Amino acid sequence: MKNKVGIVDYGLSGNVYNIQKAIEKAGGIVYVIDNIEDFNKIDKIVIPGVGNFKDAIWELKQKDLITPLIENINTKPTLGICLGMQLLSTFGYESSKTDGLKIINAKVVPLNVDEVIPHVGFNKIDKIKDSKILNGLEDEEFYFMHSYEMLNFHDVAATTTYCEHQFVSAVEKGDVFGVQFHPEKSREAGIKLFENFLNI
Amino acid sequence: MQTRIIAKLEVKPPYVVKPVMFEGLRKVGMIKDLMAKYFEQGSDEIAYIDIVASLYRRDILFDSILDGSKDLYIPLGVGGGIRDIDDISKLIHSGADKVIINTHLLAEDPNLINEASSVFGKQAIVVNIEAKKTDNDWICYTDGGKIASNRYVLEWVKEVEQRGAGEILLQSIDCDGVEKGFDLELCKKVVDSVNIPVVVSSGAGSLEDIKEVIEYAKPSGVALSSILHHNSFTIQDIKNYLRKNNIKVSK
Repeated sequence: MKNKVGIVDYGLSGNVYNIQKAIEKAGGIVYVIDNIEDFNKIDKIVIPGVGNFKDAIWELKQKDLITPLIENINTKPTLGICLGMQLLSTFGYESSKTDGLKIINAKVVPLNVDEVIPHVGFNKIDKIKDSKILNGLEDEEFYFMHSYEMLNFHDVAATTTYCEHQFVSAVEKGDVFGVQFHPEKSREAGIKLFENFLNI
Repeated sequence: MQTRIIAKLEVKPPYVVKPVMFEGLRKVGMIKDLMAKYFEQGSDEIAYIDIVASLYRRDILFDSILDGSKDLYIPLGVGGGIRDIDDISKLIHSGADKVIINTHLLAEDPNLINEASSVFGKQAIVVNIEAKKTDNDWICYTDGGKIASNRYVLEWVKEVEQRGAGEILLQSIDCDGVEKGFDLELCKKVVDSVNIPVVVSSGAGSLEDIKEVIEYAKPSGVALSSILHHNSFTIQDIKNYLRKNNIKVSK
């Protein structure tokens, strides 16, 4: 099993600790990616997610991590979580229009719901296609905590409905995966998702 | 939309305690044990509030949070004594997913909401309201219900939403720990005043009380403490009861 996972640390707001303990519980070995050399140690990448799109990209630029991160995503299985999923997009519109990592043809916009925002709590996922990362998790609930959503039409693996609005809750393009929810906060189902990721 | 059921732990490290009307501190158990217990019972989140940190002006005890959250795979909100961005960053690196702030905002500087929300995202910033009923209104208190501010609850909740808070934790000093039901009017008025999630707390003594506040006020979540600490109902018992009454809750 290729189980050496690097979590990209983009500074002040990243929730590295929670993701680290969930990956370790699933059987992975975790490294924190802080500079370009750290990519040599790992088989897989996790991009965590708490914070703001524009600030996260700025932090990655400050650490000269944008180019090496994109190169490594092209060769190593990668999982983006919440904001980490959104960063895989072409553009984000949080604070102002900001270039993303452009791995997935998508943009990130405010959640199109006129009721209570942010969307917070456990919710179901509806699988749209066969998915390596969601295998065996069809009937599970996952924890969401977000105000923005990814708009994408080609790589959708699952959707979720909140206040009658359907949005993309998981994408999968080759071995690049993104989930809008927080598997590290989703009880046993989340650990199982990390196991699926480790088994890829 | 599913209503979240949240275990609220009032903490005086290393113990979880339970005051009545924010007074008196009965020991309930150790932090780590109770976090594990309510996680296993199916709590959707844990709210951890150090109820003496602000009052004593002491720093947040990060180690007790790190230790307690080690085996927790649900969201953890942490509050008590938060004063600046650095505190929040440390908490998030110690396992907190959101921070719960009250005293500093009212006693010192409400701009902390704006700053924190732009750095950490609004979903990570919860404003805690300690409400006490006056004649026809509710006043915000600070320092664990000890000191009255000059702000009215229904105005303040709108202001915190505007400033970028992502959630409100609503507690009632009059009802907390009394177990005779929620302050239903307060809950409904706060929920109706804002478009961010409101988690209501304070007063649940029976399953009916919980059902009543969900049906009447339609909060995003309910935070429970006394009713769980007595062990008369587990969180799963409460969820089963709510499901039977057509209220949507998570597994």
